[in-house]
Amino acid sequence: MSHLLRSPGTLAALVVAAVAAAMPVLLPPSQVPVYVLLLLAAIVVTGLSLLMGYGGQVSLGQASFYMIGGYSAALLAVHGLPTWVALLAAPVIATAAAALIGVPLLRLRGHHLAFATLAVQLILLSLAGRQEWAGGDIGLQGIPQLEVAGYEFADDVSYAYLALAALAVVVLIARNVVDSRPGRGLRALATSEVAAESSGVPVAGYKLAVFSLSAGFAGLAGGVYAFFIGYVAPGSFPVLLSFEYVVMVVVGGTGTIWGALAGATVITLLLQLLNNIGTMEGMPAAAPSVLSYAVYGLLLVLAMLFMPQGLVRGLAFSSRLEVRWGTWKTISSRSAKRRRSSA
Amino acid sequence: MSDLLQYLVSGLAVGCGFALLASGLVTVHRVSGTVNFAQGMFAVVAGLAAGSFLSAGLPHGVAEVAAVTAAGAVGLLTGLVATGKPGTGPRAALIITLGLGFVAYAVEIMVWGDGPRSHPGLGGTIQVAGAYVQRQHLLVIAATALVFTALGLFFSRTYLGKALSAAASNPYAARAVGMNVTRMGLAAFALGGVLGGTAGVLLTPMLPISFNSDVLLITNGFAAAILGGLNRPGLALAGALTLGVAEALVAGYLDASYQTVVALVLMLAIMIWQASRRTALDMEAAR
Amino acid sequence: MSDPVLEVTGLVVRYGNATALDHVTLHVSAGEMVALVGPNGAGKSSLVNAIMGLVRPAGGTVRLDGRAALVPEGRQMFPDLSVDDNLALGAWRRRREGSSARDTAWVYEVLPELARLRRQKAGSLSGGQQQMVAFGRALMGDPAVLIVDELSLGLAPLVTTTLAGHLRRLNAERGLAVVLIEQNARLAFDLCTRAYVLEAGRIRAEGPCAELAESSDVVAAYLGVTP
Repeated sequence: MSHLLRSPGTLAALVVAAVAAAMPVLLPPSQVPVYVLLLLAAIVVTGLSLLMGYGGQVSLGQASFYMIGGYSAALLAVHGLPTWVALLAAPVIATAAAALIGVPLLRLRGHHLAFATLAVQLILLSLAGRQEWAGGDIGLQGIPQLEVAGYEFADDVSYAYLALAALAVVVLIARNVVDSRPGRGLRALATSEVAAESSGVPVAGYKLAVFSLSAGFAGLAGGVYAFFIGYVAPGSFPVLLSFEYVVMVVVGGTGTIWGALAGATVITLLLQLLNNIGTMEGMPAAAPSVLSYAVYGLLLVLAMLFMPQGLVRGLAFSSRLEVRWGTWKTISSRSAKRRRSSA
Repeated sequence: MSDLLQYLVSGLAVGCGFALLASGLVTVHRVSGTVNFAQGMFAVVAGLAAGSFLSAGLPHGVAEVAAVTAAGAVGLLTGLVATGKPGTGPRAALIITLGLGFVAYAVEIMVWGDGPRSHPGLGGTIQVAGAYVQRQHLLVIAATALVFTALGLFFSRTYLGKALSAAASNPYAARAVGMNVTRMGLAAFALGGVLGGTAGVLLTPMLPISFNSDVLLITNGFAAAILGGLNRPGLALAGALTLGVAEALVAGYLDASYQTVVALVLMLAIMIWQASRRTALDMEAAR
Repeated sequence: MSDPVLEVTGLVVRYGNATALDHVTLHVSAGEMVALVGPNGAGKSSLVNAIMGLVRPAGGTVRLDGRAALVPEGRQMFPDLSVDDNLALGAWRRRREGSSARDTAWVYEVLPELARLRRQKAGSLSGGQQQMVAFGRALMGDPAVLIVDELSLGLAPLVTTTLAGHLRRLNAERGLAVVLIEQNARLAFDLCTRAYVLEAGRIRAEGPCAELAESSDVVAAYLGVTP
């Protein structure tokens, strides 16, 4: 126990994991679907945060891969494949799709890449709406229940645990990536591509890897989503969803796993709260959407202006709480040293 | 044959709208280095406001000018938030303008609701070489020609226009001769608002606009502007007209729902082609 | 001594925790040519930027009697604009203050080499021509004191000599005060009457150029390395 206390990061992780595991049974049944969606958002945002913080790139189309995962799982399941195979195929297909389009796309940087990713999603949405085999604008209905080794995922609580397990896998992978040697190379890449390249980091390969990995995460979340909701359509994956993920990353702070989790949680809860307020009696019909847009916008603007480090790192610095992963410690201590020596 | 002419004219008209949007993007990017995601929002605000002014009884002309002026004010406000705080880099500014787009959604839904709206433009058609051409289309083309000419003269002939170009090309020297470069950026944002607003009031009679039309507008504007590296209004105009005509031809001869796909694929192809001619080093220098 | 056109008192400039200028005090009288020499990183650029109002000092004052105009290091053209437009924009501060604009024709009289280049894009000119444009642009601001940041850097000796001649003439004929910041201390001492030596953000030595040139440590540090 004493070694855990010496490492508040590990302790905090254990507490968060315990609370997260208890949530599905503690929450009132009507709130469990919100929790599932929160967990799915956290999965996507963890990947996007890696891409933005470690690849140094903004994706305005991350919901594309959520969509690819959702459609892949739905199509395979509807055509009679075992549902667990369909679920596993979702992240694989999303990763492959990202690896494929990443080759030309990742020649772009900065706002070019931001618009290119947005364009990819608009193209996907437009195409999906035209394909009969994909259900067109109406979408795919009648996705069978997920069944793994004879266990049928039938209620919301079971999906909550499924999403939780998926999130745990994603966080473990992300953590290993961050702590690995390539992770440090990626970190260098986010600050200066040229410097990273000249110090021997295989920039193109790493970028494609982190892009594909983040797409894989989104694809996994999309697969779970398809089985959970039982139906996918172009309307389930609006451009707005991609922007929402960016808001979550920015609010939580790019490049930290804690930040991704915090961002997804804070935004989801805030939206739920606003939705409750907006649908109260006497409120105009447009109130929920007005409130949620206003909050998205204001959060994004205020976070960029006053807390560009994001919620978690912003708070961590002020309370001197070391809740970041190992790499962050070495980097921040290194940059602190550099700051001292330049002064 | 008369079909083709009709598609060409309507394509040119829509392309002109994109060109005005793109010129706003270019103006803001040249002077402040910011890619303004809220550029499409300016058009939406002006398009919706013009409709309200018209139904409030303002005559044509006055209503449109008032709406464009409002868009200019919104542009100035956007610039203040996105670039007013010292130390806000271009990447942060892009995300801030994205956020301001959301804030605008909230305001637009409150004021105008969430359905698509339109307002009457110049009604009627005239016959040109056997084809019926809508007078609104010709108005849009003429107005765009006028705006681009005025814009060209402004940047090449007037002191303020030259100063704006100067501040963009060498901020240090601009500050050394006493310019306030941030304020020049704000002027560009206001001008961007006016240009976006002009696109909005001209396009709304042809394509009904709702609060979230901004994504499609900004994507098309960006696609046009990217041809000139976001810095050259002339190439942006060429890009926008090509885009508009290509979309009209696809919609006319193939399938209307593929027109956006064509535009987007074109944009991706141009960007990737441009990037393959550049090295990582000068991209980084440009950041 | 006549009234100073530029008086810097106890100037402190900091970037974060780093102190670039540490209580710098200097003055330039009307019609005087003063050299400012020192190694790279001594704080010369910070001093220039503070005098021009481009950085906010953490302490001390800059007092100007009239305007200061800058010939910036590296010429800093507006590359896509013509020579004439570059010159015209030099009058920006003056126009903002409502003074009558000086016509660019005046600059072509003072620097006749520029007259035939007036329609060319500044970005297409040679280094020496650009430095001449930078001079002209600064003169358009109708300054009482001209601050020249690195006159000779990257220019051929012959070009430097021409520019130095112009500077000397402007000083003699029009009483323009000049602050010359130079790596080439020999050239600076040659042109100016008085000099300051700036090192690590502080004034290390000051005095008439002739005296400073005699003082052995300064000579060793700044004159010895340049021919």
